[in-house]
Amino acid sequence: MNASSTLYKRKGPLVIFLVPAFLFLILFLYYPFVQNIINSFSDITGLGAPASGLNTPWYANYVTLFSDPKLRTALGNTVLLTVCTVVFQVGIALILALLVDSIRVGAQLFRTLYFFPIVISATALGLMFNLIFLYNGGMLNQLLTNLGLITENIDWKDPSHFMATMFAPVMWQYVGFYFVIMITGLNNISQDLYEAAALDGCTGLHRVRYITLPLLRNVLCTCLVLAITGALKVFDLPWVMFGAGMPQDQGWLTGTYMYDQTFNRGNVDYGSTIAILIVVLGVVLSNVANRVFRPRHDI
Amino acid sequence: MKKKRMLSLLLAGILALSLLAGCGDKAPDNTQAPSTQAPSAQTPEDTKAPAAAPVELNVVTSYGGDDGNRKNYENAVASYEAATGNTILDASSSSNEEWKAKVLTDFETGTEPDVLFFFTNADAEPFIKAGKVVDIAAIRAEYPDYAGNMKDSMLAVASDGKSYAVPSSGFWENMFVNTKVLADCGVAVPGPDYTWDQFLTDCETIKAKGYAPIACSLFEVPHYWFEFAVMNNGTLENQLDVPAEATDAVGQKWAAALGDIKDLYERGYFPANTLTATDAETVQLFGDGDAAFLIDGSWKVNHFVDNYGDALENFAISYVPAKGQRTAGQAIGGISMGYFITKKAWDDPAKREAAVAFVEHMTSDDVMSTFVTTEVTALKNGAAPSGLNPLQQSAADANANITGVVGAVQDTITSEAKMDLFGNVQNVVTGAMSAEDAVASAIALN
Repeated sequence: MNASSTLYKRKGPLVIFLVPAFLFLILFLYYPFVQNIINSFSDITGLGAPASGLNTPWYANYVTLFSDPKLRTALGNTVLLTVCTVVFQVGIALILALLVDSIRVGAQLFRTLYFFPIVISATALGLMFNLIFLYNGGMLNQLLTNLGLITENIDWKDPSHFMATMFAPVMWQYVGFYFVIMITGLNNISQDLYEAAALDGCTGLHRVRYITLPLLRNVLCTCLVLAITGALKVFDLPWVMFGAGMPQDQGWLTGTYMYDQTFNRGNVDYGSTIAILIVVLGVVLSNVANRVFRPRHDI
Repeated sequence: MKKKRMLSLLLAGILALSLLAGCGDKAPDNTQAPSTQAPSAQTPEDTKAPAAAPVELNVVTSYGGDDGNRKNYENAVASYEAATGNTILDASSSSNEEWKAKVLTDFETGTEPDVLFFFTNADAEPFIKAGKVVDIAAIRAEYPDYAGNMKDSMLAVASDGKSYAVPSSGFWENMFVNTKVLADCGVAVPGPDYTWDQFLTDCETIKAKGYAPIACSLFEVPHYWFEFAVMNNGTLENQLDVPAEATDAVGQKWAAALGDIKDLYERGYFPANTLTATDAETVQLFGDGDAAFLIDGSWKVNHFVDNYGDALENFAISYVPAKGQRTAGQAIGGISMGYFITKKAWDDPAKREAAVAFVEHMTSDDVMSTFVTTEVTALKNGAAPSGLNPLQQSAADANANITGVVGAVQDTITSEAKMDLFGNVQNVVTGAMSAEDAVASAIALN
């Protein structure tokens, strides 16, 4: 028996190492979460203000939750955003990764270029996209006008266009993140397999279909789970671009609606209730995603 | 083995300590002896040789963003810093509902600034009731000349009967017009006898010429039009009445006001993107000569001076069209903001004197005169603005014809009710919600 195995048999040092992180979690995660549950049953009219007792009835906020049309809109938009995230973010990232993996020159450049949006703050991106989609003098409207495609400016944030205007920047921002994960996954696939397949006449799309995708399955599963859980938390970019529910209360996401209720309107108890809904939604969807996209250990 | 155990314990201890390091609340440095300088009226000149070490003051004002007085504010802060050696940590923003909510949140979470320039109406009641700011009488007990240059009768009185804020310059809200656009459309600059019917006719002419008649973001700042629409459906005397319910007379008045805005929207007089544009976008539309009318406040004058300084002759201050018992000479105005010293700064011996000196500096006759052009002040000696530019002169001329002024009705309702009411204007004009329902929804939150 060597010294290191003795160390791991003795649980004392491990417990000591775990205690700080555990304390941290209790202090900054579990305690606020429990407090948040209590707040959702209380009557609180300002952030930081003490509760003036329980709501009447105490579950009033949960009743409101089911009858609030703005929340229904927020939930619908968030679910749609999640679907779009899976299809476009992960999908585009996969296509880009496959393309970049197949080139020999400039792969590093593309990696940097595609990853770049991740390092820019969402607020800066929001402001940038606001300029692009600006009604008067915005880049997109100017471009379309100069190309002769439109004669009148398009309001990219109106009810007919806002969904694409809101989702496109979000998709664009995180494509690079999944792209890098997938590129790393692709690099782990042995070249021997490709060479053997080439000898058997398997090239091009067949190579992708029968070798790359099956061997990339676990990485894809991880990306999908991350994308789904990440989409539920999207807040900053839509908030900078659309503010409070633009247009006409149709642009709410669960995150922006919770923020507006809590910080702008001071309706802290209802904001807490929405926060719990977001947590429940996150836990349920991530569990479903984990089950559907369970990584296989035989790959 | 013993060494490893010791190392483990040491590392765990460091981790635990680093975890707790951020939890400490550094107490104010009370070891510093309070200034022995006799409390007296402090002018910047008096504070040139401060007795105490320079301090940093956290200051929050609404002189941020594109506020027309931003430059004057920066100059005033710079002169205070130069005179005292103190440093101002400025966290100013543009005034809007989100900013107000953030300020109130800061108070509730204990992160309030040392000095705050804020509204003196119902918006300030939460932190006044919480005892988070110091009243002027208490400050005068130690600094007898504090706010001595102000007329006491014009100090805002809180619900507890005390005055807390040293008033800054007042404000007016009225109609800015783009004279170049009007001239191109053959429309005369409105006078104090401007009527609603004339306005509708003018808007139709302007619209036919391809301009947006009214520059306004109904998404972000519908309150300017709401204030005057309420007045157009009532009187100056009952302007500040708040409905008890949507069906009472005041509630009906508010609903009628929303109905007038809806009518303007349906006629297509607002910009095409009024429901998705920001205030900055529509103001730019007006400034760039693509819109004719803009209701805004006195704070916007310097915005045009700063951004359209070489074309000021294209703008004028006019009158909001009137209907019913109102005449166009009646406007919104008053003194609604002032400087508060927080209890936190007052209780900190190192900051108390600096905070008092800062407020005295910012509200001194000289500094106030740089902020004021045409606004009313509470100064005993009055402000002495010099060299009015064409737009300021236009405002002064319009103000000379003002026959009545009343405060903003939005200042009489709670922040949550206000957010709800103005947030629903977009739903009312598009028909997604009735005006009566919008009023009822807001009143339920008041």
